[in-house]
Amino acid sequence: MTFTGLIGRICMFPLRLIIDACVRLRIHPNTLTFIGVLINFAAASALALGKFVTAGVIMVVANIFDFIDGKVANESNAVSAFGAFWDSVIDRFSDISLFIGLIFLYATLDRRDYVMVSALAMMFAIMTSYTRARAESLIKKCKVGFMERPERIVLFMIGAFTNRMAAVLWVILILSIFTVADRIILTYRELRDTGEAIA
Amino acid sequence: MSKTPLPLRVLWNAFYWTYERASWQYDVMVIAILAFVWLTPPEWLKDPMASGGGPIGWLIDALK
Repeated sequence: MTFTGLIGRICMFPLRLIIDACVRLRIHPNTLTFIGVLINFAAASALALGKFVTAGVIMVVANIFDFIDGKVANESNAVSAFGAFWDSVIDRFSDISLFIGLIFLYATLDRRDYVMVSALAMMFAIMTSYTRARAESLIKKCKVGFMERPERIVLFMIGAFTNRMAAVLWVILILSIFTVADRIILTYRELRDTGEAIA
Repeated sequence: MSKTPLPLRVLWNAFYWTYERASWQYDVMVIAILAFVWLTPPEWLKDPMASGGGPIGWLIDALK
């Protein structure tokens, strides 16, 4: 078993208990998604105030909701097209709010360089989701590139807990640029190979 | 691509990422990212919130 696979299995144990509790309590998955974004707004506020450890703790709680909504939907037979749409829209709000928190913080500190790094990282994080959504309206699957949402969230937490947010922002920025490029390349190749007009 | 030299192939595969989570390639990437985040001195990145040299800075100081 790989190192990241082992960590995934360890984290899955408490999450399993929470998922079971939500299914038994008949909590609707869309409600979990919405609670998740509200908690993420609180995390963004903590980031904006420079309280990184507090933000990290709140992010852990918020992302439990984020992670379990899909599993609860599956297990309580509440999977719906609207649920999938709602989840992906709300996820964008969560993503953007964290970046806005950091942009506010760096603007307060009069650090225009990191305002730009955060803004660019936010742009490419959103484009990562957009390129996949748009590509999958043209081709079957567009799941390439390293920096997807779970990686971004874990990196945010690592940056918050260990006070290394600047390094984390650089990693998110560079790898999100690669991810967007990967998705454009894959879509171009797939459309070219199927004989679709690409020019 | 099979005739491309190994270092170039490694670089291309790191850039054009197609590996699944929890694969050994994913582990290597995660370790590289964590090393960058934790070992790079915050001063080098002009980190607005963190200060000091970090582990690499301490090592350089110790070797001086």
